[in-house]
Amino acid sequence: MPRAPIIENARSFAWITDKVCGIVEGRAPRWWWIGFILSGMLASFTLMGLIYLTAVGVGVWGLSHPVFWGWAIINFVFWIGIGHAGTLISAILCLLKQKWRTSINRAAEAMTIFAVACAGIFPLFHVGRVWFGWWLFPLPNSNVIWPNYRSPLEWDVFAVSTYGTVSLLFWYMGMIPDLATLRDRVTMVYEKRAAEAKTAFAKSFEFAFYQFRRVFYGVLAMGWRGSNRHWSNYEMAYLLLAGLSTPLVLSVHTVVSFDFAVSHLPGWHATIFPPYFVAGAIFSGFGMVLTLMLPLRALFGLHDLITQYHIDCMCKICLATGSMVGYAYAIEFFIAWYGANPFEAFAFVNRAFGQYAWAYWIMITCNVISPQFFWFKWARSKLWLVWILSIFINVGMWFERFVITVTSLANDFLPANWNYYSPTAVDIFTFMGTFGLFGVLFLLFLRFLPLLAFAEIKSVSPQADVHGHAHGNTDKAH
Amino acid sequence: MTTSSEVFAPSAAGAAGRRDPSLPFLIGGLVLLAVSIGLLFTGSAADPVRPFLGYLVGLTFWTSILVGMLFLVMIWWMFDSGWSVIIRRQMEFFLVGFVVIAVAFLPLVFLAISGSDVVAWTWIDETREKPGTFGMVAEDTLFLAKAAYLNVPFFTARYILIFAAWIGLAFLLRQWSFRMDETGDHKYVLWSRRLSAVGLFVAALVTTMAAMDWFMTLNYHWFSTMYGIWFFSASMRAALAATVLILFWQAGRKEGLRGLIQPTHFYFMGCLLLAFTVFWAYISFSQYFLIYSANIPEVTFWYNIREKSVDGSLNAWWWVSMALIFLHFLVPFLFLLFHKNKFGKPLIFIAVWILFFHIIDIYWNILPQKLSAEGLLGYTERGFVPHLTDLTAFLAVGALVIWAFLRSASKHRPIPIRDPRISESLNLHE
Repeated sequence: MPRAPIIENARSFAWITDKVCGIVEGRAPRWWWIGFILSGMLASFTLMGLIYLTAVGVGVWGLSHPVFWGWAIINFVFWIGIGHAGTLISAILCLLKQKWRTSINRAAEAMTIFAVACAGIFPLFHVGRVWFGWWLFPLPNSNVIWPNYRSPLEWDVFAVSTYGTVSLLFWYMGMIPDLATLRDRVTMVYEKRAAEAKTAFAKSFEFAFYQFRRVFYGVLAMGWRGSNRHWSNYEMAYLLLAGLSTPLVLSVHTVVSFDFAVSHLPGWHATIFPPYFVAGAIFSGFGMVLTLMLPLRALFGLHDLITQYHIDCMCKICLATGSMVGYAYAIEFFIAWYGANPFEAFAFVNRAFGQYAWAYWIMITCNVISPQFFWFKWARSKLWLVWILSIFINVGMWFERFVITVTSLANDFLPANWNYYSPTAVDIFTFMGTFGLFGVLFLLFLRFLPLLAFAEIKSVSPQADVHGHAHGNTDKAH
Repeated sequence: MTTSSEVFAPSAAGAAGRRDPSLPFLIGGLVLLAVSIGLLFTGSAADPVRPFLGYLVGLTFWTSILVGMLFLVMIWWMFDSGWSVIIRRQMEFFLVGFVVIAVAFLPLVFLAISGSDVVAWTWIDETREKPGTFGMVAEDTLFLAKAAYLNVPFFTARYILIFAAWIGLAFLLRQWSFRMDETGDHKYVLWSRRLSAVGLFVAALVTTMAAMDWFMTLNYHWFSTMYGIWFFSASMRAALAATVLILFWQAGRKEGLRGLIQPTHFYFMGCLLLAFTVFWAYISFSQYFLIYSANIPEVTFWYNIREKSVDGSLNAWWWVSMALIFLHFLVPFLFLLFHKNKFGKPLIFIAVWILFFHIIDIYWNILPQKLSAEGLLGYTERGFVPHLTDLTAFLAVGALVIWAFLRSASKHRPIPIRDPRISESLNLHE
């Protein structure tokens, strides 16, 4: 009963290096330019939405009595959740010694950073006067106004900024050996590209680009020489950052869940919220990793590095976390009845059968039912199906935050307050634009930084197994 | 797979010619169980249900270990884990204890069916006083709203369902693993994985049900969506700590794991113990914090009686609460952070420590309840006073579970010699 190989076709170190570096060193494919331009155009929606909001005020969003939290907090939680898979893969799976993580950690970590950037926009701009955003930090200002430390929104400031900082450090530190490899290949790549350049302009461009790459990778590689001491320090720093990041994965979405759960509002005040939110975040994050990695795998021909085994693992994590989320939905519903609080019971019945029932059932279908396909090998091996299901997960997790936020507020304690919340065009365009921003950042990452952590991949490749066997076991990876 | 019994079976791994050391545990356990059942009826007039709770604490301690082990076995199957294979076998021995627990639980179910006054679940008898307030249960709006769930026939059905699921899963996982020893047929691996996939769902459902039925409904006014996860987290910790002790015991036995178990096995168990120490604290804190923060009286009373008497003075439970924070979380957390403490005597020490405070945690969850109404808003709560049943039930159930474990361990091989991952487990290194 051999284990599935992590790297297929016994690829050598040289092949792995060429494959991953080739993505950065080759010319940008046409689809990249199309994607980049479209993403940039889409991102402009966010820019315009935010300019309009800053000029006019938060009234341009669809917030109205009693729904004073609308798409902004939904989008914030959605993007923060997306980021969790990156940290889970790089930190928790590292501590659990899961070697398959090496093929997907880099892109997932990049996804984390960009998702946190997209998430940060919404709380920052929801303050209305964005130039006072720095008041969120505990700095004395001229009016001696201090943040309310009892508000979980204030805790978010610390939780998210710490999480973003540590994730960025982790991502960058893990990249140093790969950046050094890219640095060492700069001249070779230049010579090759310069030889292909036909016009004087092209030659000048190649030279300028060479200078840029020389400095860019040279500075970022921080003098890495791959010495024994470098590797030893690197491994220790990696382990320490993994240890630091692990509680951060849990704490960030726990604090995000506190935004809701510390209140009295029916549907929000549930003790299960912290682990339920964390499970949901990992679920949505893995959904997004699948959404991104499956096309990239096909476009760059990375089938030997991101194998069916990796896809199986990710699908199974989606299945597990999606089912945990399903457990939380069920237990919330049961306790809403068992608690015998009529407001709580109403909130849940209203979610399922009230004016927002459509959103609730989209959530259930996407988050609980769709990952159940991943039980079956045939479903996991049909990559078009996996990709569609991953989109379902992304959609479902956005709707989960919509259901939690809006249904509880729209139909609160006093029926006289009740209202139907609808987003405005500004809401919709600002949110859609964040996908453009995310796309721009991710496409730039593809062009300039190593997509896969190839130094780490080599360590789990067949060539790294110096014994050529695994203690009598016929398989190479375990 | 080339692994075979010829290669890896030590001479002691054969099944024949064992001395059965389990008999004293059986006799002692039965005697103590009879004593414990007798003691159930010795509660005071002011608090007739106190011995019942002591019995429940004893049962719960051993149940939680078994529940944690069942989850771990299934999780390891699902992860296709290699390092843990020889540890899994010790848990498979222990899982037979579910039958003992089911039998030891029966007196409580029969008493509930008979509507006895000694039963701590107030809701089984509608003529009783509402917990901590005036009036009968039958007049309680909260009870009436929950009566569809809180009734003896449904409770009994749930008891059967819970144990049927636990025993069924444990039975199949044990049998298939033992059969693989004999036949070497790896179809049992696939069967076990498939069963574990479904079994984790089933176990999550029935374990939540058990936590709610047996502990949460001790005061049926209270509720928390987190409660099932609290029991799961506490169970995982207890199971890991108990397994560490079993491994040390087995490591010293020629017919056990001597020469087979590696220091890395203990190290990994120490790591898991650290992880679940944090997880337990995370779950316990989150539940406390959200209830404290929202400050809704319909749920805060559960923590209030674990902190203060009705006159506002700190009661004995406050000290227990502090012990749980500092001694059940902080000490093991700091201790297990150190690499050297995940081996040898330090690991034994912290495993015993965790198990001791696990009993305190169970005590703290089960015992403090509103006793009677005093004045318009006041009530008295049960104090932190040990009862003989606490000890006898703990020893009785423990002796019987250990008896079942020893019997099982003496009948089967100490390691699953034909498991396809056995070589990974035997050649484990960091």
